[in-house]
Amino acid sequence: MPEANVHLAVFNNVDPASEAIVKLRELGIQEDEMQILSGLPYTSEMLGRARVWSMIPKFSIAGFLGGFVISLLLNLGSVWQYPLHVGGLPLYPIPTTIVVTFEISMLGLLLFTFLGVIWECGFPSYGKKIYSKEISDGYIGLEFNCPADLHTQVHEALSALGAEWIHRTEAVDL
Amino acid sequence: MTTKAISLPQSQPREHEQEDETREHLLLDPRPRSELNRMVMESMLTTTPVFKIVLGILGLLAAVCLFGAWIYMGLTGIGVAGVRRPSYWGMFIATFVFWIGISHAGTFVSAILRVFKAEFRRPLTRAAELMTTFGLAAGAMYPLIHLGRVWVGYWILPYPNNRWLWPNFRSPLVWDMIAITTYLLGSTMYVLLPLIPDAAMARDRSTGWRYWFFRILALGWRGAEGEWQRLRTAIQIFAFAIIPVMFSVHTIVSWDFAVSKTPGWHSTIFGPFFVAGAIFSGVSAVGMILFMIRISMKNMDYFIRPEHFDAIGKLMLIFSFTWAYFYFNEYLLAWYGGDLSDQYVWQALTKGDFAWLWYLMLICNVVVPWLTLWSKRVRRTPWMLFGIGFIINIGMYTERYLIVPGMITRNRFPFMWDSYAMRIEPVIAVGSLCLFLFLYGLLSRFIPLIPIWEVHEGQVATMLRRIGKAKVPTISELD
Repeated sequence: MPEANVHLAVFNNVDPASEAIVKLRELGIQEDEMQILSGLPYTSEMLGRARVWSMIPKFSIAGFLGGFVISLLLNLGSVWQYPLHVGGLPLYPIPTTIVVTFEISMLGLLLFTFLGVIWECGFPSYGKKIYSKEISDGYIGLEFNCPADLHTQVHEALSALGAEWIHRTEAVDL
Repeated sequence: MTTKAISLPQSQPREHEQEDETREHLLLDPRPRSELNRMVMESMLTTTPVFKIVLGILGLLAAVCLFGAWIYMGLTGIGVAGVRRPSYWGMFIATFVFWIGISHAGTFVSAILRVFKAEFRRPLTRAAELMTTFGLAAGAMYPLIHLGRVWVGYWILPYPNNRWLWPNFRSPLVWDMIAITTYLLGSTMYVLLPLIPDAAMARDRSTGWRYWFFRILALGWRGAEGEWQRLRTAIQIFAFAIIPVMFSVHTIVSWDFAVSKTPGWHSTIFGPFFVAGAIFSGVSAVGMILFMIRISMKNMDYFIRPEHFDAIGKLMLIFSFTWAYFYFNEYLLAWYGGDLSDQYVWQALTKGDFAWLWYLMLICNVVVPWLTLWSKRVRRTPWMLFGIGFIINIGMYTERYLIVPGMITRNRFPFMWDSYAMRIEPVIAVGSLCLFLFLYGLLSRFIPLIPIWEVHEGQVATMLRRIGKAKVPTISELD
């Protein structure tokens, strides 16, 4: 979104905010030109928006599989390279392998799930961004990119829906 | 004189009573988000001189009793501890098992209750998760303390070397190391993820170094739809995935004992028995920590209420039953099976040297909770629940003591029986407790202990709905 045209409308409730999305759509603003900022995890369905596509479950599965492979390498590879006979047990015992395999696979899953959030959200992303501190106070921010010729119409429509304020916004340091 | 009865409308006073009752519930007593934020920030920023003094003393005790005593042991030799034949595993390992047990509370409260959507969990999750992290950190030091010459600790790493030690990669001690590492890393990430939105809230209300601290912690969070959805997805995955890890950790700790042929240890139910005991002591510790948070931090009486102590009290009672069930199971067969070695252990516990500890354990873990926690009034009285939690943890520590140096001194060779006399161990144990409390107290002033967005979400989702003449709480599914 080019910053010059970015506006932020702030609502004190999710209902007018979701109505505002419908109104902006009617005024011709594209879906990818607007975004809700909130202090609570409202679902896409509540906001009337398309569900955000996420790869985090795939990250988790990849992490699990990666952990699984590493654990097999440790379990089997170390014994293969340096065979150590213990009390008549087989060199590649399945039960003890299961324990280590489970733990390292789960570590891979958890680690990659965490990294998935960091990666997909683009964290850490310090620097200038569109934001208002009121959002963490429970207000709902509707960030949208508005062409200059629609300014008046958009302001009227959103004010009618109860927007507390709408203004062209400057990026703040986060 | 004639009197005329005036009939008052019945519904009005009842409705008032009902509303007063519902106000007791945090989720039915909503306040504006800005007010919630202010209260949590205030709780972090308000530090009384008494708190500072207590924290200073805890820090000093941790430095002297834990690190000082540990360094002294390192310089002098492991002989200053009481571990010697036949009790090679002494109080260090008992304390290790105790701390790992305490760490189970966080995952239980946060993950299992989240999966089952138990709403009362909302203000408690972070406080419990931090117990997991610090409990694990305290516990993870013990294998190193137990090593004695910790600077050559790398010798036990499972790689071949020119010392011809050939550590066994399939040994239960290696399982332990891997399981605890997995759990420590997993639970730390599980604390950090839901903390991001609260760190952003704190960033928006801080100045100076705190602003920079929260700015770094918030990672640039704005609360965009995509950020929330990804965070929720990850928290859900974590909640489900960390439960089996939690079960595995204490099961593996139990296998450290159960895989050996030592009487009293060699049991197939040691895994679930240890897990039940861990959750029992952990949940009791959560009750204790909630009480301490409530009395030592401003505004916490709004967030942590009698309903939460009530719920924790019920969990303590349930896990007391579970623990007693496993204990009875374990010892009924030992007692009835007729194995001579098991009989010796049984006699030592019931009539021998350890009898006073054994009865103390049963009083603390069974008699006290069963007699007291039935009462709703007891459960809802924070200081009483703190006291019962304290007694339970004494009982659970005694249980670990009986299992580790207790049973190992009554092994299969009567000519090797000896008593275990602790020496420097209690000092180090007190030091680790002080370290846990010091770190917890310190962090309570650096990060919001109440997951404010989760509490707010719960308040938004909960409302009163009229059914017939009554108003009943109704919870909407927001995810």
